[in-house]
Parts: sequence; C-alpha cells; structure tokens
Amino acid sequence: MILQEMANSASQWSRADGPEAEIVFSCRVRLARNLEGFTFPPWAHDSVLKDVSDKVLNAVKRSHYLKNSRLIKMSELSSTERRFLLERHLISPEFSSGGPHRFLVTEKREMISLMVNEEDHLRLQSILSGLQLMDAWRLTDKIDDELEQNLDYAFLPQWGYLTSCPTNTGTGMRASCMLHLPALAVTHKIDELMKNISKLGLVARGLYGEGTKSQGDFFQISNQVTLGSREEEVVDHVESVTRQVVGQEKKARDILLRRDGIQLRDQMGRAYGTLVSAYLLRSEEAISLLSKLRLGVSLNLFPQLNVQVLNELFFMITPAQLQVKEGKEMAALDRDELRAKIIRGRLSKLGQKK
Amino acid sequence: MIGKKKTIIVPKKKMICQVCGEREATFHFQEMTNGQVKELHLCEICAEKKGLGQTFFMPGFSLSNLMAGLTELEVPLSQGTSVSCPHCGLSYGDIKRKGKIGCGLCYQELEQYLTPLLERIQGKVRHSGKVPKKGKVEDQRERRIYELRKELEILVRKEEYERAAKLRDEIRRLEREK
Repeated sequence: MILQEMANSASQWSRADGPEAEIVFSCRVRLARNLEGFTFPPWAHDSVLKDVSDKVLNAVKRSHYLKNSRLIKMSELSSTERRFLLERHLISPEFSSGGPHRFLVTEKREMISLMVNEEDHLRLQSILSGLQLMDAWRLTDKIDDELEQNLDYAFLPQWGYLTSCPTNTGTGMRASCMLHLPALAVTHKIDELMKNISKLGLVARGLYGEGTKSQGDFFQISNQVTLGSREEEVVDHVESVTRQVVGQEKKARDILLRRDGIQLRDQMGRAYGTLVSAYLLRSEEAISLLSKLRLGVSLNLFPQLNVQVLNELFFMITPAQLQVKEGKEMAALDRDELRAKIIRGRLSKLGQKK
Repeated sequence: MIGKKKTIIVPKKKMICQVCGEREATFHFQEMTNGQVKELHLCEICAEKKGLGQTFFMPGFSLSNLMAGLTELEVPLSQGTSVSCPHCGLSYGDIKRKGKIGCGLCYQELEQYLTPLLERIQGKVRHSGKVPKKGKVEDQRERRIYELRKELEILVRKEEYERAAKLRDEIRRLEREK
C-alpha cells in the first residue's frame, strides 16, 4: 500500500529545480554509522539486529526530521517491491536482498532516508536535485546530530566513525553527483574524462559500475577515500570537479549544435517521434531515446517540454515501478505496452498544451 | 568468498541469449563457482527472469564490494587467526574472508592487523572529520574543534576576518593540547 502510494509520484529530487539540474540529475550524501557495543550487521545474530533496530527506530521517533516518515519492513516485501525501492535510490543492492530486522525509513519527499541494519547499523542519506552537494551534506549532518542524541556511535579519535567495511572508516561519508552527459558521450570524451577524474582521487563510473557502458549516458562521480579529510573538504572537492565536468558538457553541447546542428535535430526529432508513436517500448530502448530527448529539451529544441517531465519518465518506466504502480506482476510484453502508453500519454499531452 | 562471484564482461562481438536463443544478449557475466569460470550471455528478458537484469537507476557494483575483493587479494596473512576480538569473537582470518570488520572493538583488539589494511585503502592518515557530541573527554575536545572549524568557515565566507583570526588561534590552541 505504501509503495503504491509512492509509485504515484516521482521523488522530490527528480524535480529538476536545483542548480545545473539540466546536467546534474541529483546529488547525494550518505553517512555510515554503527552503535557502540553491538556487532556489525554482516556478523550479527538476529537478536542483536533486533536490539539495534529497536534502538534506532526509537531514535527515529524522536527525530524532528524523520518522525513523520514512512517505515518499511524489508522482510514484508516481495522481490519486485524491493527492486522498486532500489530503483528509487532508497536502498542499496545489498539491502534489496531482504533479511530480518531490516528497515527503511523514508521521509515523504524521499529526500532523506535511512537504512537500518544494512552493512552498517545506520545508513543515512540525503538526495537533492541538481548540484547542491554542500546543502545535502549540511542536511545529513543535522539529522545525524539529532539521531546521535539518542544513540551511542562507535567512534575512535584515530579512526573516526567505525564501519563494517574499511573503505568507509573515518567520516563514513560518500558524496556523489549523478550527471547526464550525452554530448560528452557522443563526442567520445567520456573515457578520457573518467581517467582524469580518477587521478583526482575520485571515482567516476557508469550507473552499472566500472567498465560497463552507461545506459542513457548517466554517470556518477563520488569520493573514494573517507579518512584524513574533513567532510566539507571532500564535498567541496566533489562539487568543484563536478562543476568542471558540467562546464565541459556545456562546451561539448555548444560545439555539437554548431557543427552538427541539423544531424542533432534530426536525431532528437526521431527520438521524439518514436516515443510519441510507439506502442511497444523495451526498457533499454526507451531509456536511450529519452536520453536523446532530454538533451534536446536542455537545448530548448522542444519548447513544449521541460527536463522535469523527462526525469519523471525515467523514473516511471522501469520494470519494478510499472509493476508496483499496477499492483501486479507483469510479463515483459505487457510492461513494454504499458511503458509505451505512459510515455505517449505524457509527451503528447504536454505537446498539445501549447 | 563464499558462493558465486559475478563479474561483468564486455564481449567483442554480438551474442545471442544463451537461454532463449532468440534475442540479442545484453547482459554479459563471468561467473566463478568454486574456481570454475563460466560465461553467461543473456538478453534483458531472460536476465530478469534469473534475477540478474539491471534496469535503469540500479546502482551497480559498490565500491565496498570491489574493496572487499581487494583486501582478499592483498593481505596475505596466515597469522592473525589465533587472536580474536573479545566482543564479537572474530579473528582477523574471519574478517579477511568476508572483507567486513566484526564490531567497534575489533578496531582496538585487532589493531595490529587492521592498521596496515586501513592504511592501504585510506592512506597513512588520521581522522579529521566530524566527531560525535557525546563521547570521552578527548573526543569532546575534538568535537569542539570540529564545531569551531564550522564556525570559522562561516566567518570567512562573511569576510569577518578579525573574528575568524581569533577563532583560528583558539583552534590551534586546542590542537596543541592533543
């Protein structure tokens, strides 16, 4: 029931109202925290996990930011429902495998969420639209302070916040930006860019991990190291590198428009044509076409459309979103039909307005 | 590593799905089961049936998974299996196998084994970020420094340099006391 309600609207952060939102889809800060005196989840018995979840959920109740949140028990969900949460960036792949005493707390706008008993006792995250990573950090920082009033965190001055995986020890913070880089992708500048980013101590990857082709030309930049630097320094670094990438994408778009203007228009027009007239669309095809159209919209070639509509569509058409919204399991062909119908509906409705 | 290990691979030529034999394969994995390598080429539909399909927005292999693999390869310690943490009961051998530390106390009790591991991943550095509000006496000083630094940043942004300078001296004084 809760999930179906969620499926009827897109997350707040897909609204494209943040700075540079045409290129920076979203930014995210997450913190890993553990309770002192309790074994970390990968090794803990069920009874420990239960004690931990009781404590954490009690702290959540007293939190000003989280008290009106949705509380979702992972063990009560089907695999499609867990996948639904994964696609909405509310849980990690690890968490989506389910398990006892695991909870997701998510505030209604889905900007703030907390996984209880993932790899660490607490995984707190904020996602905002566009490039406002420092704001995302400040928000997460505040909620972390608030939760800490009722929890004792495992911490050592030398090592900082103690985490299950040594890659998170210290600040326990991962700060990342998700970027839509179609012009850099089409001009084959992405590989070089990724290499340069890794030289700066950051990780750049397609949405499916290193070495894989990124579907829809979406890429993610995040910090690698969590020990030795202050959170603000790290956030600042990720933000400034992202800003440079945004600058390069803008430049590539200008060049593309000037050099291959007519080809570009043709490609985007065809993408639009297919999207508004197809009756069956596979997920991969839809994403690739929507990505092209999103670039066109950013370049003001489709004045009747805006980036937000496209962002929402990316959200709504994944297999799990479709099935949760419909409230039933669906065969691939049925999904392809529904996907095409939703896209046609959204794009042509808006097209007729003006 | 217990169970199967999957790695995404990029094939050189177009492949047909091994399950249905009809559609083009778009998911390519190398699967390791007990040392045996098997390649898998599946189309979107069959991959999904097998629970392997990845759709848009699904974050891929996490950094920590990669790192867990790394620690397995890079820490050739046969010792460290006899000492175990008094709280969670794990030895360094256990931790190494899973790539995950057992509890907060491991960081102290198994320090001699964990320090080289942490230094390899993070560099030879000390934590300089956020500090919990509640904590031991020495932690409280660190928390104070953390809060002063935040204030300092705000003052600098407001260009209130005189007050910022005072704050900076205060931070230095506290740091010397460490």
